[in-house]
Amino acid sequence: MITEHGAIAKIWNWRITVFCGLILFAVAIAAVSFGPISINFFKVFKTLFDLPGGSTGQDRTVIMELRLPRVVLGILVGSALATSGAVYQTVFHNPLADPYLLGAASGAGLGATIALTSTNHNLYGALPIFAFLGGVLAVFTSFIISGKFFADPNSLLLSGIAVGSFATAIQTYLQQRHSAALRPVYSWILGDLTSASWSVVAWSSVYITIALIILFSVAKQLDGLMLSDEEAYSLGINPKRLRIIAVAAATLATATAVSASGLMGFVGIVVPHLVRGLTHRVTNRSLITIAMAGAAFLVLADLGARTLLSPAELPIGVITAFVGAPFFLVVLRNRRKVTQ
Amino acid sequence: MSIIVTDLTVRYGDKVVLNDISLEIESKRWTCLVGPNGAGKTTFLKALLGMAPYSGSIQDKGIEVFKSHKRNVAFVPQHPQIPQGMTVAEYVMLGRSKRDGWGNESLASRSFVHKVLTQTHLFGMQTNLVAQLSGGEMQRALIARALAQEPELILLDEPTSALDLHHQISVLNNIELLKEEGVTIISTMHDITLAAMFAERIVVMKEGKVLLSGASQDVIHSPELKRAFDNRIDVYTLDSGRPVIVASKEKHL
Repeated sequence: MITEHGAIAKIWNWRITVFCGLILFAVAIAAVSFGPISINFFKVFKTLFDLPGGSTGQDRTVIMELRLPRVVLGILVGSALATSGAVYQTVFHNPLADPYLLGAASGAGLGATIALTSTNHNLYGALPIFAFLGGVLAVFTSFIISGKFFADPNSLLLSGIAVGSFATAIQTYLQQRHSAALRPVYSWILGDLTSASWSVVAWSSVYITIALIILFSVAKQLDGLMLSDEEAYSLGINPKRLRIIAVAAATLATATAVSASGLMGFVGIVVPHLVRGLTHRVTNRSLITIAMAGAAFLVLADLGARTLLSPAELPIGVITAFVGAPFFLVVLRNRRKVTQ
Repeated sequence: MSIIVTDLTVRYGDKVVLNDISLEIESKRWTCLVGPNGAGKTTFLKALLGMAPYSGSIQDKGIEVFKSHKRNVAFVPQHPQIPQGMTVAEYVMLGRSKRDGWGNESLASRSFVHKVLTQTHLFGMQTNLVAQLSGGEMQRALIARALAQEPELILLDEPTSALDLHHQISVLNNIELLKEEGVTIISTMHDITLAAMFAERIVVMKEGKVLLSGASQDVIHSPELKRAFDNRIDVYTLDSGRPVIVASKEKHL
């Protein structure tokens, strides 16, 4: 950190945020351009902004009805998971925390399994609602179980693990009882954006936007949660209240993301560590940047998922985990170096 | 004005941790709480901070301290939570949060942090990770963050524990910087010799009660001090006039 005019340098450089925004924009346009039918990058740009010389006919339909909603959903889900992951890591003082920590994933998985194993096939369409309710209920139950100690991050974390295991046990039981549902449940667990449509984008964007606005507005205060509660309190924060607000908003974002696209492993761990590692800053002033990096990461992963084995599609969770797992090991290794 | 503590009682469940304490703490002075482990010293600090629910009152100018000083109480814990990956500059900058609003980094604040880092001999280490600081450096970083807060009142819980002799003095000298700036200092300390050397007033606590309080020189010569520790305590005076307090091997008072 270079000093300037007898002052220390700013903790966060907002030019990084702007740079990340430009990368996200370029990645989004590229993702709309590439696919079984390749469309010129500039034509896509003109079509999106309704400029003269844009695509018409079939190309326009591919852009506006197939690829754009998928890219927008990728942006929403990626930003939700990356931001939630960063917030969970701060709240739980645990660099390996991910958005599914408090049972959101297991709860959503149980909800989705209930919908998929139901004898009433009308429930298939309600899968996102079941997944959303399952995720939120699981986290809510974790809060209730941790009781008056909910303000203690460790007891909340342990409650989340217990609730998650319980939900997974029921899910496994249901799958065994309805073996026909194994494949769709498995496919959902791996996550994909193929269900993207403007209606999915519309409802998921409401919850994710609300959650992100809340998280961005408390981002700067979240740095105080990296200290002990007494220290945070002396710095003007109510740590218990802030923790509840942060976890609730991150859960809303996660549950929405999971119900819209299934489970996307590692986005919530890889992206925050990538941004923090590259900028050498752990401050939560970087949350907006982390959100944009998460969006770009998932849109790129989805591009890989639908082009690598084209015309077949890989589940996007395979791509995120393929990149994420080795990265996760590097994080573990570096962490060990720091603590030694 | 002073901080007036009246009938202060703190309970954790059925356990009474602080029992009906009444005390006057002079402002802009250094008051040190001494006493055996479990005497309630840390709980007393937490009550001042507003983190331990209490009955009775702790008032400054007729207003509860944790409310009146809400913007300006700094706390230096005995066991700080070390934020992984945070640099010394970020850590000390947290102290400016209440002044600037969270996350705003005015030029004035950044200049102030520069000054504080220099004062605490941490300048040049601002890009180092807090997690990699030595015990003495970490303690100085904590003091630097407290200085950055420009507090009216600072609470320090065992600021010299686990430090070698050199760093003990270095840290206590840094705390004295605060006194020069008119800050009221309340600390806990196990080393009574150091407490007598730096603090103007000493409060002796045992089992949640105050046994004795007064000017440092009076307190260290009082028989109540021996009663607090259930041990014979000898006080020697060096040629410089400075007292040295030593616990005796013989247990009888």
